[in-house]
Amino acid sequence: MNIENTKAQMKKGVLEFCILSVLSDGDHYPSEIIEKMKVAKLIVVEGTLYPLLMRLKNDGLLSYRWEESTSGPPRKYYKLTPVGEQFLKELEITWNELVDSVNKTIIKK
Amino acid sequence: MNRTITMNLSGIIFHIEEDAYEMLNKYLATIKSYFNDAESRDEIMSDIEGRIAELLQEKVSTIKQAILLQDVNAVIALMGKPEEFAGDNQQTDFKQAEQENTHQQPTNKAKRVFRDTDNKILGGVCSGVANYFDFDPIWLRALFAISFFAFGSGLLLYIILWIIIPEAKTTAEKLEMRGEKVDINSISKVVKDELNDLKNRANKFGDEMGSKETKDRLKYYGDKLFEFVRDTLYNLIRIVAKIVAVFFVFIAIILLVVLLAGIFGNGSVFSENFGGNSINFSLFDVSTFILPKNLPNELVSLALLLFIGVPLLSIIYSCIKHLFGIKEKNKIVKYMASTLWLFGLALTVYMTIEISNEFSQQAYSKESIKINQPINETLYLDAKTIPNADFTFLFNQRNRKIDFYNKFLFSKTDSTFSLGYPTMEIVESETDSFQLVVIKSARGFDKKQAIKNAKNITYSTTQKDSTLILNSYYDINTEDQLRFQKVKIILKVPLNKVIYLSKRMEKIIYDVDNVSNTWDNDMVDRRWVMTSHGLQCIDCSGLDDTENNIPLAPTPPTPPPTPSRNSKVKNI
Repeated sequence: MNIENTKAQMKKGVLEFCILSVLSDGDHYPSEIIEKMKVAKLIVVEGTLYPLLMRLKNDGLLSYRWEESTSGPPRKYYKLTPVGEQFLKELEITWNELVDSVNKTIIKK
Repeated sequence: MNRTITMNLSGIIFHIEEDAYEMLNKYLATIKSYFNDAESRDEIMSDIEGRIAELLQEKVSTIKQAILLQDVNAVIALMGKPEEFAGDNQQTDFKQAEQENTHQQPTNKAKRVFRDTDNKILGGVCSGVANYFDFDPIWLRALFAISFFAFGSGLLLYIILWIIIPEAKTTAEKLEMRGEKVDINSISKVVKDELNDLKNRANKFGDEMGSKETKDRLKYYGDKLFEFVRDTLYNLIRIVAKIVAVFFVFIAIILLVVLLAGIFGNGSVFSENFGGNSINFSLFDVSTFILPKNLPNELVSLALLLFIGVPLLSIIYSCIKHLFGIKEKNKIVKYMASTLWLFGLALTVYMTIEISNEFSQQAYSKESIKINQPINETLYLDAKTIPNADFTFLFNQRNRKIDFYNKFLFSKTDSTFSLGYPTMEIVESETDSFQLVVIKSARGFDKKQAIKNAKNITYSTTQKDSTLILNSYYDINTEDQLRFQKVKIILKVPLNKVIYLSKRMEKIIYDVDNVSNTWDNDMVDRRWVMTSHGLQCIDCSGLDDTENNIPLAPTPPTPPPTPSRNSKVKNI
């Protein structure tokens, strides 16, 4: 059992939830999302984000629009769709329940 | 000192050192190979390239303009190795994902067609295409070399391919060029994969449908169903489009070869029938005599080449591009093609007007031919065909002839055209003698020219005792041009006199009125008497299909007892 792998997988499971949460307070382009996630030490390498965004977009949870940038290439601003918001709400409930039960399990010990 | 390369990443220009460029290129290619689904792969790639461009932009300044290897390495460290972030599509077990990726990488890596300039003879087209389909380029080269002589059509195709297919410049492209075999097996594998993918999505969709039932969700799944149907249709259309493209290329190439053959083969028409006879005829020979004198054949060829050839080439060009999935646009080619085509169009319109002007006026010239009256009241009519004009084989340059199903005759010697066939009518004479009138007609750009053209037609007959021999052709001097020259012969037969039509007259007589409404081809080889109602057959009693005919009194000179056209069907 590789400890790094296990850690990575634990993070992976909640990454989508975190991306949706970051976007719940407004539209962002990938670099901004990365900044926020990095602060929270959720993302180690930036490349991780793009396939995830793609998947969320393909599942109809996110949409995006193009916006010109003063420096560099045009940026994709991502936004939650109504379905995405619904999805996020349910995830939040599940997350809170999970945290509760996990905490209980740990503390009982 | 290091060499730098100019690179365009997400629309931003960078100067990058060669080794750094190779590194970045390899990195992007590796990421690319980790994604299976082509559509999202392109989008993810452009996102990643955009981000890398952004990061690299921070590395350059007015003092440090070039991107170095360490900059690229830093960016790669930031972005992460492909195996660290990509390829986790739905898989939870990281190791398994990695394993599958190494399996899938070679099979899913699309092979692309490039010109192989390392093994080139001319432009590397043959070796590139041979690489793509994985066979020895020598066969393709041989094929092209042979087709160069097929009126240059091979050369044209080669040039088109040369323009369309990009050259393999970088190592990555060279590797892509040699990638996995593209053959039936891998194609069927791709199709199978796609079908599986569809099936999985359908299953997933069904599962999801079954588990949840809220109204809100239904709308969401409605959208999903719509997307599913849309994607399926889209894939279907893509496959059909490829098949149509192959078909179009095929047809266009055939038409192009025909066009080139027609023009560079001097418009040769060559056909051989089973009797061992053959026609070898140059359309250019004929068109010289049709076109106005200020329009040379070469100009017409050029106009046709541009007007028809350019669209054909464009079809081949864009279909091949579509087939190989080449997206690069070549503006020069586009502008050149449009300009050439418009030029061809203008030329064609100009020529059409010029040519139709030449035919705008029609004129007639009437001429009576004196004939000796037959002694025994019967005039025998016979036709004379062109000398040496049984279906002739015409390899030599002197004598050419086209005989089209007995409807049209065209023959040319050095000094004359012989055209056929004149049309003949038989009417009642106002006097008591046989008369022959020849009406010649022709067209020209004005009345004067038309009259001149009509008068220049030579038509001759000969008479031997009671036999009048009519030529089944009329002659035009080769100095004149072909301007719808036509000859109409009117034979006037006095009342109660008899004519005999020989078998050969069949080609000349044209819708001759007669009492029994007999067809022209049944009128020959029989005698006909002129009655006050029109021609009547004398020896038709033996005919099988003559319900129309009326039995006759045996004595020809006496007029029959008023057979009317209305009663003809009931008799017999």
